[in-house]
Amino acid sequence: MEMHDSLQIHRLPQSKYVDGVRWLPQASALNRFFAAAYHDPDSESSSIEIQSLDPNPNNSPSVVSLSSWTSPSRVSSLEVVGGGSFKPMVSAATSSGSVHVLMVDLVEGGVIGEVYAAEGERFHVGRVEGVDWREGGECVTVGDDGRVNVVTVVNGGEGLRYRRVFDGNGLVGYRAVKWASPSEFVTVGYGFGLQLWDQRKAGEAVSQLNGSWFQGKTSAVVHSIDIHPSRKHTCIAGGSSGTVFAWDLRWPKQPIVLSGVGASAGINNPLSESEVWEVQYDSYTKSNISSSRILPVMTCSEDGILGVIEQGEEPIELLAEPCAINSFDIDRQNPQDVICSLEWESIAVFSRP
Amino acid sequence: MPGMNSKPGDGLPNGGELVPFSTKEKSPAVYPLRYGLKSRPHRLSISWGCGNNLRVTVLRNPESHDDDDGGEAGGEVVNVRLSGEDGEIGDAQWRRIAYGSVSPFALLQSRRNSISSLFKMDTSPSLYQTAWWEYVMEYSKEIKSLLSDSVSSPAPLIEDPRSVIKNAEEPTSLKAAWELMEMFYADKTCLSWLPERLIDWLSDYDVLLSSSHPTIYSKLEDFQKELVGLQAIEDDPRYWEVMASALSVGWLEIVVKLLHLHGSYQLDQLGNRETENGLVEAVAVLISKMPRMRPKLEAGMFGECFAAKPDFMKTRERWQSQITKLECSAFWVQCAHHQTREGLRNMLKIMMGNVDCLSAATSNWMELFVSHLLFLRPFTKGLEGMHNLAQKCIQSKQVNTSHKLLRLLIGILGENTEVVLAVCSKEFGSWMVAHAMELLTAGSEEGEVLVHEEQRNLGGINMEELHRLVYAQVLSSHALTWQIAPVYLSSCEKQGLGLLELLFYRQPVQENQLLIKSLEICRLYELSYVSAKLMKISGVHHWKHGRKGSGIFWLQQARNEHCLKVISQQLFDSVGKSLSDESLKQWEGLVELLGSDSQISGGLDFLHKYRDFKRSLNLVKDGKAIDAAHEAVERLVSLMKSPSTPQRFWLPLLHDSLKLLNWPERSLLNVAQTNLMLNKLQEASIAKIRPGFIESDLSAQAVGSVRLALATNLGRAFLEEC
Repeated sequence: MEMHDSLQIHRLPQSKYVDGVRWLPQASALNRFFAAAYHDPDSESSSIEIQSLDPNPNNSPSVVSLSSWTSPSRVSSLEVVGGGSFKPMVSAATSSGSVHVLMVDLVEGGVIGEVYAAEGERFHVGRVEGVDWREGGECVTVGDDGRVNVVTVVNGGEGLRYRRVFDGNGLVGYRAVKWASPSEFVTVGYGFGLQLWDQRKAGEAVSQLNGSWFQGKTSAVVHSIDIHPSRKHTCIAGGSSGTVFAWDLRWPKQPIVLSGVGASAGINNPLSESEVWEVQYDSYTKSNISSSRILPVMTCSEDGILGVIEQGEEPIELLAEPCAINSFDIDRQNPQDVICSLEWESIAVFSRP
Repeated sequence: MPGMNSKPGDGLPNGGELVPFSTKEKSPAVYPLRYGLKSRPHRLSISWGCGNNLRVTVLRNPESHDDDDGGEAGGEVVNVRLSGEDGEIGDAQWRRIAYGSVSPFALLQSRRNSISSLFKMDTSPSLYQTAWWEYVMEYSKEIKSLLSDSVSSPAPLIEDPRSVIKNAEEPTSLKAAWELMEMFYADKTCLSWLPERLIDWLSDYDVLLSSSHPTIYSKLEDFQKELVGLQAIEDDPRYWEVMASALSVGWLEIVVKLLHLHGSYQLDQLGNRETENGLVEAVAVLISKMPRMRPKLEAGMFGECFAAKPDFMKTRERWQSQITKLECSAFWVQCAHHQTREGLRNMLKIMMGNVDCLSAATSNWMELFVSHLLFLRPFTKGLEGMHNLAQKCIQSKQVNTSHKLLRLLIGILGENTEVVLAVCSKEFGSWMVAHAMELLTAGSEEGEVLVHEEQRNLGGINMEELHRLVYAQVLSSHALTWQIAPVYLSSCEKQGLGLLELLFYRQPVQENQLLIKSLEICRLYELSYVSAKLMKISGVHHWKHGRKGSGIFWLQQARNEHCLKVISQQLFDSVGKSLSDESLKQWEGLVELLGSDSQISGGLDFLHKYRDFKRSLNLVKDGKAIDAAHEAVERLVSLMKSPSTPQRFWLPLLHDSLKLLNWPERSLLNVAQTNLMLNKLQEASIAKIRPGFIESDLSAQAVGSVRLALATNLGRAFLEEC
């Protein structure tokens, strides 16, 4: 493991719990924008804030809150849609079973315009665990209640329309979801199992990875998955015991373990030994371009490690915090920039050399 | 708790309380409580919520139902937040301090463990002490950096010549108290120049002492406000007053700066006030050259430093003789400006250590104490000497502030550990006492003995553990800080583990993320039995709220066979007597989760076997090869043999397998297997007369066909085996 000595990390105290953080597109040459979901247990209130980050080369960057939206309950999943535009959409899924889409105008100083919502008994009951958007303003949502819905933004300001793809009736609960193609997506339930769904074949998953391959001592839960747009057949997943593995749909029976405790004999030096909260493909880390190898993956974990894992290489540790790193985001336009939310009511920002 | 003290005379003052607590101190405060109910409250119910929250439920009278109440609710819950903060440090800032102190505290604890094992064989305790003090100092510095405000405003580029005092950062009394503790207990490098350290301390924190009574700082601040409007500054008596005061506590830079504002420096007056100006300048030079008994001064500070006593004494004597010479000089007669003459001579007297002048210039005993240290007794050493001097100063001042910082200082100087601890905990909170304990035990032997002595009336724990437990309780009461409480509880030998366990049971573990974070802490502290309980609590909660999959998952993780058994019975009830192919699809996810070879399932492994059986049966239906049929038979046999297959499924299972029993080419079940099926059929038929029997919805005709098929199969099997 190596540490980047030259890495300048800015920690921004927030005085509220940070439930999630996402970069917004770069709308001006000077300022950067990000969206953050907050929770204040004292007032039992949750909100989404659009903030601007003024990179001050000599000092700690200054953060200004541009606008704020009060969420009906705690935000369980925060996503930004529309990577390159000045008018991105921020989507927030809540623990009370709703999904809200906020129209943000970055040119007009980050104001939040219309807010659309999908909610109600027929949508989700209880916490919406995962949301993933794809081009064309369509997202798939999964929840603890075992429901899978597809939500579409109806053009012309009508709001959101949803339809149910599957209802597990609580017999299963889903933790995360990711599109693999315009019609296919991957979900993850309890255990280390993954399911591939095809909207055209409703009713059951078309392919699945049996969760019992993992014989760890402690609980096995996957918290986050990611699929690279250029390699839609490979899904990476991160979860308990520092486990990060890849599921190749062409060989769906056996996953490829990249990191983790006791998961594979080939890994002596796992990056983390506790829960991996989020995984994202890291396009900034240059790798050996070979189609047979899995692309570099950035992970963050409960034991405070943010790092990059590459198949067959020693993992790179970027951050080692005394508290948990609950989520992170790599900027799509400037992939050297990383923002992450820390357990101790703060946000960390850094730029890789 | 007040009023519930243990019996008097058990060793502690005031009947068993650790911290002096007087109920007479304050009359109870009354706060109005606002609620939204229009009608008069009928009953009140009060209970504790999470943390400092008090839940007051206001109920209206259920009898008095008026028609015009507009459908008003029957009651309302009002959340009352009790806040103990003194306003100086907000809740969020306290949490920031709490987060920041976790790492230094944990590091110090682990160093203590490693250093004590390392030095066990070594016989030189001094080596151990030196190493330990270094660690404690490192710890103290890290904690101190947390207490400073994170954002310090940058210094102005152009300095205002008339701005005398700079207020870069508002100091907190918490930091001031920490510095006192560090200075006296932890920092061994400043032992030889403690007086100068106290002078520095006062210059940083005099502003805090001015909350109730005026201090030199507040006088200066007031004067500074009027400075702009003053034409001839030297005519104002307050000009000389504040300079004398500032000089008496050693704020030399301020005095010199003020002296340079003297009117005689102005170009148009220089000619006719030459002597006067000379005197002012001479005093300014003497002030800026004052010898100080300290290793170094910060840049921009006046005075000459001497680390060694002989050098200092020699220079001081020379300096004092220069003052005497100036005092006796003939120039004073030529100085026409009365105020200047008197003011400057007063300052010279202060520098010579005139007791009356020092007393007049200072406004409280702390300032007087510092002025004595500076001009009269720079060699004061040891706490006893300082304590005596401080007592004298207290007596000589008529009006005295009893600021919490000064009470702390008196406790330290008086070497009274109980007082120090009491002031720390009462005035600065549980965070302070839990963390400053490390400084206290490192620096004071008497303190260490007291703190580490097991107290019988505390249930055998010592003071250190007590205060850590108290702090951990404070942390536990907030949803955001409970996670760091285990760090402190784990350092408590006797009660820590028990309270840690309780802490987990108080968390709302039905939230998955919180549960997983709790499990992670359990893993770190090797509390597997606690994590099993947490998973059970969470599993039952999920199950009750219709999230059957999550419920079963967590119960399986908890290896709780009992709960799973109960659940499986309920589950099979909801399934009914048979699973259709369509509903089986819904169960797919759960079946996958259960796995085939799971040891702990409470009978739920039936679902998995049943699914597999149905699958191979479907293949048979599709007309696929005989292999599928054989597999189906094998699965049927294993289902029938398994004790977890509920009896009510036996008949439907046999009926489903009619096709296998009537396989055209040859019999698929051998004699033993057929007998097994027959036995089950018999058992199921007899079961009808038992209580709790659930009638299968198969017709008598269907049962007959199963019986016939089995009998036929038995016959064929006999023949084949012959």
